[in-house]
Amino acid sequence: MTAAARLDSITRRFGHVTALDTVDFELAPGEIHGLLGENGAGKTTLANILGGLLVADAGGVEIGGRAVDLRSARDARALGVAMVHQHFSLVPRFTGFENVALFNGEAWTRRGTATRGYRSQVEARARELKLAVELDAPVAELGVGERQRIEILKALMSDTRVLLLDEPTAVLAPQEVDGLFAVLREVAGAGTAIVLVAHKLDEVLAVADRVTVLRRGRHVLTEAAAGLTARELAKAMVGRGLAAAGARGAGWAAGSEGEPPSARAAADAGGRAGQSEADADPVAVLDDVTVGSGEAPALRDVSLTVHRGEILGIAGVDGNGQRALAAVLAGMVRPDTGTANLSEEAGWIPQDRSDEGLVKDFTIVENVALALHGNASHRRGPWLDWAGIADRSAALVDEMDVLAGSPDARAGTLSGGNQQKVVTGRELLRAGELLVAESPTRGLDVQATRAVRARIVELARTGDRPPGVVLISTDLDEVLELADRIAVMVRGRLIPVPPEDCDATAIGALMLSAGSTGDGGHGGGGNDAGHGGGRAGREHTT
Amino acid sequence: MTDLAALSSFVVAAVGLAVPLGLAALGETVSQRSGVINIGLEGSVIWGALGGALGALAVGPYWGLATGVLAGGLAALVFAGFAVRLGTDQIITGTAVTIGSLGFTGAVFQSRFGATGLALELQTVPAWEVPLLSRIPLLGPAFFDQAVTAYLAYAMVPLLGWFLFRTRWGLALRAAGESPEAAHAAGVPVVRTRMLAAVFGGAMAGLAGAHLSLVHTGTFAENMSAGKGFIAIAVVVLGRWRPWGVFAAALFFGGAEALQFTLQALDADLPYPLFLALPYVLSLAALAGWFGRSRAPEGLALPWPR
Repeated sequence: MTAAARLDSITRRFGHVTALDTVDFELAPGEIHGLLGENGAGKTTLANILGGLLVADAGGVEIGGRAVDLRSARDARALGVAMVHQHFSLVPRFTGFENVALFNGEAWTRRGTATRGYRSQVEARARELKLAVELDAPVAELGVGERQRIEILKALMSDTRVLLLDEPTAVLAPQEVDGLFAVLREVAGAGTAIVLVAHKLDEVLAVADRVTVLRRGRHVLTEAAAGLTARELAKAMVGRGLAAAGARGAGWAAGSEGEPPSARAAADAGGRAGQSEADADPVAVLDDVTVGSGEAPALRDVSLTVHRGEILGIAGVDGNGQRALAAVLAGMVRPDTGTANLSEEAGWIPQDRSDEGLVKDFTIVENVALALHGNASHRRGPWLDWAGIADRSAALVDEMDVLAGSPDARAGTLSGGNQQKVVTGRELLRAGELLVAESPTRGLDVQATRAVRARIVELARTGDRPPGVVLISTDLDEVLELADRIAVMVRGRLIPVPPEDCDATAIGALMLSAGSTGDGGHGGGGNDAGHGGGRAGREHTT
Repeated sequence: MTDLAALSSFVVAAVGLAVPLGLAALGETVSQRSGVINIGLEGSVIWGALGGALGALAVGPYWGLATGVLAGGLAALVFAGFAVRLGTDQIITGTAVTIGSLGFTGAVFQSRFGATGLALELQTVPAWEVPLLSRIPLLGPAFFDQAVTAYLAYAMVPLLGWFLFRTRWGLALRAAGESPEAAHAAGVPVVRTRMLAAVFGGAMAGLAGAHLSLVHTGTFAENMSAGKGFIAIAVVVLGRWRPWGVFAAALFFGGAEALQFTLQALDADLPYPLFLALPYVLSLAALAGWFGRSRAPEGLALPWPR
């Protein structure tokens, strides 16, 4: 059978970095092909070359058995190659239908005007692919999962030979991931080849027919997924065995007085009464905090206490108030009602590191200085101790394994992952009392993820007066791995999870219980997902 | 009887004043929908007025309307060349174009006609009375005994509504204004779309300017645009970026301006400059969102590519 697409010893350089080095890649019709690799391994570059966004320096591209010269995404689309990006390319205020129509302009051109016919075509296609989509609401009002389905529908309106998906599961709740995979199987079953760029190994193994691993721009392996284990894949990606000891084990050992975490979690989940010891040293207390007003405030009646040396994990589907919670804890937003007692020495790893975390035109040293300028040990009267800050920055670059020419490199010249490492390292430095971390490992590769997680655990477990950590993450595995106790954010409410329910299934169900984002992925429309919020909310009222 | 006559002359004046505002504001609506806020609109209006006057002198009043459109469009092309093609700050560029245009048109006018202050007399574009419709009491004479510019403004309202919300070019244009990234990803040529939209906006403002010199006054005077371009931007805000809303908002602003004439004629015991100021106060109120939550295109004034 002719390959759906074939890349033949592709090389692509950026400056003097070789992102792809004579890589071969072949895609069979109707297969789901997982593409794995660490940050900078070249997987997105490879997908972009196939999607027409980048042109290879050397090597050939074949689509459907024909050698082609892809110069733009438009060229690729004309040949039946569609791409769904990690950051969706939807117009937020347009409805789902308008977005589908915009992307497929040529499909309904005849006289330039929209016809009813096209609308029914879109609906028919959605039914065919078993995609539950909301076509009439502005996509800004939809949840991430719903937006992703519109993104997929939009890409699949015309004949699609190859569908490229860049990290599609990064933003989804576990149940939504299952829904997405069901859709992908449907699409692949109809003959479209799918490239799934991913970083979660077990997800890839669950859905992919074949897996290709890249490492530092080179092809490492391509094999049937059935014969592979997550461990083998991780080894292939990293090129060396992973250390056996998990961050969690080390963390508990250093925990306060060796108290088992479940006991502490139980005490807290049962209400705020009766925690004599832990209550003695809270570093952040929110009491009935509400932010925003009207039907859907960003936060409603949120109460929480963060103690020294604990990691409080906040799970939840993106867009359920996590950002507002982080902003309140970081002192960026004042509650509209309720009180917030916060410590001054708080570190904040924002979700949008490149925009909220760093000044891109500043060097790494200057960015570090920004965070430390109020710190007594880095002041010399009205002046800054630049030499000391430069040393700290150099140490940070070293510890976090930031790929930068030097600490004097401008932050804007670093890759996204490396910017993230700089922000994380810097905020760990200044989190004297409290660290608020919003998805601190999103987009990081395996090594960097492990490093960041280990540093967070280390921060909360060592020293006489360790800070408290609030870990807000949409990655449930991360929360389960690191947190001492867990709460879930649903539609602006914070619901504590009883320790006996601390497993992925139970928490996943809770995340979607009153989901503002809905989950129509299992067919049958997404309208019935909005119930149960009252029940969940009452449980929290103490 | 005098009351009715006063009301009638008020409505006529309101519509007459609304026409240039409406023309410029409808053009600016298209421009802003594509993500370009053209503060240089005032410049296009004054160039349109001068271009119209010169064209009318050379060839005749109807040709004057065409040269006005051309002059306004060219001023917007200069603006868009910097603000869209080169990505300079839209607000600063637009302000520069406006101030520069007021100066240049004055200079051209003086070099051509001298600085004597003698009034220039132009042959004006005549009004066309629409049979039947013009006999509707009160509104008929106001709306349907107007020059061709007014009928063009009326026609533009449904036409632009259809274009913006029913055609794929309108969809692409709005996408460029809402989210240039997403528009680009969907294959929309964002820069070209924005250039065209801005030039269209300038051409409409040029027609508004030509209306001022060739319909409204029959002369050209320095600074005769008198802030119409700026008010048109407020009209767009008040009209919430929709052609019908903008049309209604233009009538509202025209009415506010007409009030001063009517009240003067009625010898009301009020200082009439108050009503000269009223439209500007309303502009501020509209910009501050006092007339409902305004939803500007999200990509408005954001350069592309970033």
